[in-house]
Amino acid sequence: MRRLLIFLLLAAALATGCTPQPGGRIVYGLTLAPTGIDPHINASAELGIPLTSVYDTLVYQDPKTGEFVPGLAQKWEVSEDGRIYTFYLRQGVKFHDGTPFNAEAVRFNLDRITSPDLASQKARFMLGPYERTEVVDEYTVRIVLKEPFAPLLDSLSQVYLAMASPTAVQKWGQEYQMHQVGTGPFLFAEYVPSGHLLLRRNPDYAWGPSVYQHKTAQLEEVEFRFFTDPATRSPALESGEADVMGEVPPQDAVRLKDDPRFRIEAVAIPGSSLMFFMNTARPPLDDLAVRQAILYGTDRQAIISAVFKDTSPVACGPLAAVTFGYDPSVCQYYPYDPARARALLEERGWKDSDGDGIRDKDGQPLVLDLYLMSWGYLPTIGELLIAQWTDLGIRVNAQTVRYPEALQIGREGRHHLMPFQSSGSDPDVLRQFFHSQGSMNWSKVNDPEMDGWLMEGMRTSDRQQRAADYSQVQRRVMEQALVLPIRDYVNLNGVNQRVQGLRFDTRGWFPWLIDVTLGQ
Amino acid sequence: MFGYGLRRLLEAVLVLWLAATLAFVAMQLTPGDPAETLLAASGASSEEIARRRAELGLDDPLPVQYVRYLADLARGDLGTSWLQGRSVGRMILERLSATVELALASGLVGIVLGVGLGLLAALYRDTWLDTLAMAVAAVGFSTPVFWSGLLLILLFSLYLHWLPSSGWGDVRHLVLPALTLGFSLSGSIARLVRTQVVEIVRMPFILAAQARGIPLWRIILIHVLRPVAGPVITLIGLQFGFLLGGAVVTESVFTREGLGRLTVQAILWQDLPVVRGVALVGALAYLLTSLLADLFHAWLDPRLRQSEER
Repeated sequence: MRRLLIFLLLAAALATGCTPQPGGRIVYGLTLAPTGIDPHINASAELGIPLTSVYDTLVYQDPKTGEFVPGLAQKWEVSEDGRIYTFYLRQGVKFHDGTPFNAEAVRFNLDRITSPDLASQKARFMLGPYERTEVVDEYTVRIVLKEPFAPLLDSLSQVYLAMASPTAVQKWGQEYQMHQVGTGPFLFAEYVPSGHLLLRRNPDYAWGPSVYQHKTAQLEEVEFRFFTDPATRSPALESGEADVMGEVPPQDAVRLKDDPRFRIEAVAIPGSSLMFFMNTARPPLDDLAVRQAILYGTDRQAIISAVFKDTSPVACGPLAAVTFGYDPSVCQYYPYDPARARALLEERGWKDSDGDGIRDKDGQPLVLDLYLMSWGYLPTIGELLIAQWTDLGIRVNAQTVRYPEALQIGREGRHHLMPFQSSGSDPDVLRQFFHSQGSMNWSKVNDPEMDGWLMEGMRTSDRQQRAADYSQVQRRVMEQALVLPIRDYVNLNGVNQRVQGLRFDTRGWFPWLIDVTLGQ
Repeated sequence: MFGYGLRRLLEAVLVLWLAATLAFVAMQLTPGDPAETLLAASGASSEEIARRRAELGLDDPLPVQYVRYLADLARGDLGTSWLQGRSVGRMILERLSATVELALASGLVGIVLGVGLGLLAALYRDTWLDTLAMAVAAVGFSTPVFWSGLLLILLFSLYLHWLPSSGWGDVRHLVLPALTLGFSLSGSIARLVRTQVVEIVRMPFILAAQARGIPLWRIILIHVLRPVAGPVITLIGLQFGFLLGGAVVTESVFTREGLGRLTVQAILWQDLPVVRGVALVGALAYLLTSLLADLFHAWLDPRLRQSEER
């Protein structure tokens, strides 16, 4: 059966023809109508999908090696103390509106991002302890930090810190996001919020990074449309309304996989895994053994199979496996072992003394408050967790809350368990969760050693040292059972077979559209 | 007449003030901290979040925030969106057309479908046609729009490939959302029309008209539907809230960037200036519809006009 399928796929591929043709247009389905799409202001990953091709960044990250390669900066130096980054810029680069790109433009952009008036929601914080930008000469620029910040190059390789035309920004003011101007392989041609966003080929593009395979874009136009309701995504793909569709629901992806007209490109997203934070400050989860019992007693594979149709891997620790610094040794912890979970609970005195099916100790039943949110299939995951934990003799009070309320509950520590997931290609993403002063320290962890590793990981630019630091962090998080990891995030892109050459950057979200071609 | 206008104007100001206050209070009661909501997931530190909170004026005492907000409103300044950094007034204007378009089109669908069904049911009272028409009406008002919308997408976009499933722009994008919402509206209109028509056709003047040999279509159009129009208009005025609420869901299903979606996003992200702005515009829309409904009513029914003019 399987062989037959492969044969059919091959036959279909041959029949549809594989010779790429320059020109043409595709429709690319986005899953979220972004609330705002200025990469300097807004934070959504969705805005980067189109805009990564409108802008260029100072550096790029090679997804294969993880190394940083030249972009708008031809080369760069980092001072001994890691505080000063000097960038030597490429010459002859022009914004889409004809404005020349130079050191002044870099300073203008970074000044804009860090200005309180702009109220940036993401870009500002990606610069870490940023102090100022100095123009050295027309094509040399210096970024000065208050203290070393290792993720800086990673940040500068992302669209949020991309270079926008100073002329256009000044001309449009508040309305700039409707008229964006970059230096990238595509022009921002037209934007009707939630209607469509149209990119048109930039014929003058000649300064792409080495990670791009073509010198100029192969498509004439890319039209982005919005499919916020998951149920409408695969229909749009199947009706030919869209050629590429992000975040196809798992059950639809499984079906599309068997359809010779389409393929599923499953892209693993680096960052934190989807994990439930266990509040170590609130009994009974202040007891390590109880937290460990929850980890042993949760059949994560069953959740992956039921909810995600095995399209994403079980997460072993707080970092997704494709993230730099991921330590595979965390997978040795906590295999599914309900007998052990029960034994641990018994040992700590949690027994069902009154025969109601719920364990108790000193007259107190074993009850956990589980908070869920509506995104990422969490309600379904929650149902399975409740069933599994009830089986262990734990009563679960589950409640679905909105994001702002979840943040408040997490801050005040009113939860026992609450989930979160965060994308990002640098392991520094762990700092906000596991540093004692972290803004989302929902495990209520206060571990000076861990603080030390996280700060060293943030400051040192030595990649080996960083990997060692984050390895310590991951192991400590799992030894202390601070989280219950569930899945690594995987973006299931449904792709019409006529679309070829679709590749994504290190973040996994952002396609390099310059190389996309059309078959017949 | 002047006194009447003044009274309505005062009423309008009162309603707007109440709406503005309600929006202010409601958002105070919702859990969460807007600065945290905006920044927490972006790796901002707790100090940076605190700084943003101060910049947004959220650290000031509530009465200060409230007075500042009313003062801004009085100057006609709806503020700047915390999420988008753009002027709220401008964002609302941009999306108003999409929602008004949808409301008008689905209102039209609802009226045509509702009046048709109701008329059919009344004229063929107690026959199978009556039962069928009323069954369709019942399905109409009891089917949630997110479900009927998806069914329509399945049929017309997926199987028949006639119409796009989402987005907005030309008329083709309007058909399915308008059908979805209009169908849902038609149910209550059909029931009202049926009841009204059943009563009217019993009236002696209908018999008289028939006796005079006036053709049936003329009787229906002039003698039956004209008196029915009044209550139907009132109903639509009352259903305007439902229409706005339904538009929120319909806009989500069909990904139309209207006021509904803007509101949902703003509430989810605690973008207070936008929530307040939309609440105000919603109240304004209510005032306008009720004014229009009253004027139309008066035009249809001379008795009302005279009583007001006296």
